[in-house]
Amino acid sequence: MSLYEILGTLETGFIFGIVALGAYLTFQILDFPDLTVEGSFPLGAAVAATLIVAAGWNPWLATLAGGVAGFAAGFATAMLNVRFKILHILAGILLSISLYSINLRIMSGPNKPLLMVDTVFTSFEGLGLPGYIINPIFLGIMVLVIKLLLDAFLATGWGISMRAAGANPAMAEANGVNVGNMKLYGVGAANALTAIAGALFAQIFGAADAYMGIGVIIVGLASVIVGMSILPSRTIFLATLACLFGAVLYRLAVALALNADFLGFQASDVQLVTALLVAIALIAQQTGSFRTILRKGGRK
Amino acid sequence: MIELSEVHVTFNKDTPLETRALRGVDLNVPKGQFLTIIGSNGAGKSTSLNVIAGHTKLEVGHVKIDGQDVTNWPVYKRSKMLSRVFQDPKMGTCEDLSILENFALAHGRTRPRGFRYAVGASMRDEAAEQLKVLGLGLEDRLNDKVGLLSGGQRQAVSLLMAATGDTKVLLLDEHTAALDPKTADFVLELTKKIVDDLKLTAVMVTHSMAQALHTGERTVMFHRGKIVFDAGGAERDNMEVADLLELFKREQGEELTDDALLLG
Repeated sequence: MSLYEILGTLETGFIFGIVALGAYLTFQILDFPDLTVEGSFPLGAAVAATLIVAAGWNPWLATLAGGVAGFAAGFATAMLNVRFKILHILAGILLSISLYSINLRIMSGPNKPLLMVDTVFTSFEGLGLPGYIINPIFLGIMVLVIKLLLDAFLATGWGISMRAAGANPAMAEANGVNVGNMKLYGVGAANALTAIAGALFAQIFGAADAYMGIGVIIVGLASVIVGMSILPSRTIFLATLACLFGAVLYRLAVALALNADFLGFQASDVQLVTALLVAIALIAQQTGSFRTILRKGGRK
Repeated sequence: MIELSEVHVTFNKDTPLETRALRGVDLNVPKGQFLTIIGSNGAGKSTSLNVIAGHTKLEVGHVKIDGQDVTNWPVYKRSKMLSRVFQDPKMGTCEDLSILENFALAHGRTRPRGFRYAVGASMRDEAAEQLKVLGLGLEDRLNDKVGLLSGGQRQAVSLLMAATGDTKVLLLDEHTAALDPKTADFVLELTKKIVDDLKLTAVMVTHSMAQALHTGERTVMFHRGKIVFDAGGAERDNMEVADLLELFKREQGEELTDDALLLG
């Protein structure tokens, strides 16, 4: 892999790090397997791209607006689950399917190119560094800031209520926590993060696309699982760091698999490689051998 | 302080499994009273506690706490006035949170939570001071996750948590049943001390007749979803387990057959 490719991998790794933080919030903290992200990732992209191209919005504001739209999507999923008792997984599927149509409406078509317009990333062009260097730096800083904000939030009164709501709902309720509301806001916030990641992804690759959400759920989950099975995750600080690490490592693994000629993979095999990697990580986690494999591998 | 009037609860209504758990229960617990509830399996004692806490929906009847009709209040809203210790030590504390964070969570039951850090210096001191009373050395393990504690330690912590804030009513659901005898005694003594010190209104469900008679100041017995016996004052002070069994036999015209109840 060339330096250019490695930096490109870091770039996407950091973007999916934001998705991973959202997945951590839903899967780990709230114990709410949320599939909405398949729709909220392209939703963020569609909203941001359309606002930038069609309405001439400031790209930062447009990205933020994408996040707001993502929050609404997650909130709606949690609402179907909390108020109407629909199974959480099914609620997420319903939302992500409906978002596919909604995204086509928002973009008035299957995609929205972002050519010759100002994006978040054009703001750095004046700094004298080429985009392939400055973009991963910016995204790295951004994802770290989001991580630290999430860490701080999870230590507040609201944060520990959310953690208790996921870990021990009966106990949380007995201590005055409105568990339903925690799910509404938590799943909403996770999808806001995912949508912001989608908005950034569209801006860096030059287009929002209705199909760009396929596999996002697996990417987010893979990052959390891979990260947390390799790195220690005793505290929230370490756990979120492990998620970010997992996201980057995961992108690296995919890039390597696609780059290795002897494996014979093509770019179109990315989803297959993704699924294989996740399956391997899950099996290794079940048998408890992931860390030992890595340690032994390191010794050889 | 707690008023149940004409409470009926039926589980699995209109199915072959229909169970009439409570069949017209009237219970009035005045402020500051420590009431114990006894009864065999399926008598309705835990259900009545669930009715007070809001876990179980009533078919008919009303629940009042501190003069307010809370019949339709959800659990989390009622928890502003009442706190609860469960039978399962794992239920009363959150194992993924540290001891200190658990205290902070309980603290937020009666006070606003907000976006400030949940665990401040004053919270740390307060929790350490309370934990010191236990003599278990937990005051030096404030940042340990509760999942690392033993069942007895967790139950003691839940009890302290239940007593934080401006709680008015303490509900105890066979909270010593899952502990070994020595730890159970310790937790029971701690319970009496807390209820006494804070002048709480308390309701304790228990499986042990002796414990029911020797704790608190009033005992009611449930049988088949109804209160069959209610004793307090001197009558209760002079009562032994054998008297209770005799009384039950006379009132119900049948023998008590629940081994756990007799042996406890």
